[in-house]
Amino acid sequence: MDAPSNSIKIFAGNAHMGLAKLIARRLNLDLAKAAVLKYTNNETSVTIGESVRDEDVYIIQPGCGDINDNLMELLIMIHACKTASARRITAVIPCFFYARQDKKDKSRAPISAKLIANMLTVAGANHVITMDLHASQIQGFFNIPVDNLYAEPSTLKYIRECIPDYKEGKVVIVSPDAGGAKRATSIADRLDLEFALIHKERKKANFVSRMVLVGDVKGKTAVLVDDMADTCGTLGKAAQTLVENGATKVYAIVTHGILSGKACEVINNSALTQVVVTNTIPHEDKKKLCPKIATIDVSPTLAEAIRRTHNGESVSYLFHNVPA
Amino acid sequence: MKNIVVFSGSSHPHLTELICNQLGLVPGKCNLSKFSNQETNVELFESVRGKDIFIVQSGCGHVNDNLIELLIMVSACKITSAKRIVCVIPSFPYSRLPNSPYTKNGKTISRIPESEKSKLENLTKTVEPSESKQKKNVSITNLGEIPASNDHSGQYKHWTCRAGNLVAKMIVEAGADNIMTMDLHDPQFQGFFDIPVDNLSSQTLMTKYIKMNIPDYQQAVITSPDAGGAKRATALAESLKMAVALVHKDRGFHNDEMTLVGDVKDKVCILIDDIIDTSSTITKAAQLLVDNGAKKIYALITHAILSGDAVQRINDSVIDELIVSNSVPQDEHVKQCKKIKVFDIAPVFAETIRRIHNGESVSSQYRVSDIYME
Repeated sequence: MDAPSNSIKIFAGNAHMGLAKLIARRLNLDLAKAAVLKYTNNETSVTIGESVRDEDVYIIQPGCGDINDNLMELLIMIHACKTASARRITAVIPCFFYARQDKKDKSRAPISAKLIANMLTVAGANHVITMDLHASQIQGFFNIPVDNLYAEPSTLKYIRECIPDYKEGKVVIVSPDAGGAKRATSIADRLDLEFALIHKERKKANFVSRMVLVGDVKGKTAVLVDDMADTCGTLGKAAQTLVENGATKVYAIVTHGILSGKACEVINNSALTQVVVTNTIPHEDKKKLCPKIATIDVSPTLAEAIRRTHNGESVSYLFHNVPA
Repeated sequence: MKNIVVFSGSSHPHLTELICNQLGLVPGKCNLSKFSNQETNVELFESVRGKDIFIVQSGCGHVNDNLIELLIMVSACKITSAKRIVCVIPSFPYSRLPNSPYTKNGKTISRIPESEKSKLENLTKTVEPSESKQKKNVSITNLGEIPASNDHSGQYKHWTCRAGNLVAKMIVEAGADNIMTMDLHDPQFQGFFDIPVDNLSSQTLMTKYIKMNIPDYQQAVITSPDAGGAKRATALAESLKMAVALVHKDRGFHNDEMTLVGDVKDKVCILIDDIIDTSSTITKAAQLLVDNGAKKIYALITHAILSGDAVQRINDSVIDELIVSNSVPQDEHVKQCKKIKVFDIAPVFAETIRRIHNGESVSSQYRVSDIYME
């Protein structure tokens, strides 16, 4: 590891500097010097402040906030490192861009996730590290390796340690929609807990009409599990349905807390006791508006994935374990 | 015309309308919006299968949003079997980029707004990971000491990434078959694309404007505000048989001084350039011309981005009239600045679209374009 040709550089865009710093601290590194800013004409400008020639470069930028600006920042940073002769460029995208636009579900609907995959490749990325892709098939959109990490080990740890009724076994894992059943059953199996499912009838995007509960939650703590929470319309209504069916408390554990639009208001006014999100997306400002939000730190998993990728070790350990 | 759909991106729907009016078409129906998480949503309501698709999107306003929107529109047409997709990008984004955030005499360049300047500190200062950390032995690798910023012996030269090549590759990768643009800042930019690029020229339009609107234009002097635009200015001067002058920045010496080459005393000056962004260069050049005795200053420029304090700067400057094209929406600028006049580029684009659709020569248009304008 002494050879200078095999050293590592961690860059961060403006999307989530906090997470990048946590990852860097975990790896005992400084973030590499770069200025990513916007000109008066709104074009993104990337200035690299140190040599990346023949280095192993990691660029941390989740898809959140002003998505398109953050995407261009990431692409230009990749391009900058590529033209500066980096040996390998890994895009670390904890929350993938346009992950829900992954199929042609009506006439002339764009598959934007595929477009993003192509853009990352064309910019010069050699490798992508992401977490809880909305559909794991998105990995197939790439012609470069994609490591899709799971927040599940961190979620399991949180349920074991922080959900009050877990030790009495009075907890039910609930999937808020049919699409998430697999994710929720996996967690229920690993914790040896009951499982329930809410089925929703959706009329148009971001709008839910009617919900039906399958399973028994009476007198128990319900834990809703999902990969992302956007406007929180689904979670709010699911919590209501669970309470109406006799659940004593309702928690929600969600990997990507996008929490856009009126999400904070919806959570505040809902039957939810707590909404637990990971820090793949920054939500410090949202926490101020909504005291029910709690955080799981996934930076150890991401940092360990970077360390293992850099050293050429297997990453699959992280699919089932939280690094100490 | 058959089998042709012209879609408008959200950057400049008015220009698309003007182009479509010339062609006797109606812009293709589509819905362009954003989801609540800021992701761009594109819905096309017009069948595109087997048709020639023209998508008009200029690089202005929220450049990144508009660029990604264009890419998504192209990609949506591509996967639904459009025959040919032509991106009509009157003002090309990321086509003129500086290679450093600083000028040669150490100041930050004018297009970096005050609010962003603090981020430049990241270039010289080490970005510490959050909280205090004990650097015992580096577990991953030996990083080696990063030279301090005042140590010039081993200092890394800061450079800004030029994203033009990336933008070109992205548009091609999304599925575009052809690009139409106007007055590219660097003609070499065409070489970044692996698909045909029709780089239209505004020269005929400018010539026409000068002939019709500037009295005694033969006595006026065409002036380039910097050395880079000299070629553009001389070409125009030659076609109009006019005199040329050049303003040139003495950046080599440690000051902001500009030098004038040529005689402008008691003359009308017409400054020619391709892009006016923060307008700091052109207003300084205009001042220099007046200091050297010019009696009236016109500025004739293709792409008027006018970002930051540009409009204010124009208002305060000695420029008497600023004539720009509508490659970028100008309604707001015109409201704030009475000096701005606009010429219409839609006829040139409409005619080129017609020719591309019919498989006719585009280059012969440059000679006859006067016919197609009122």
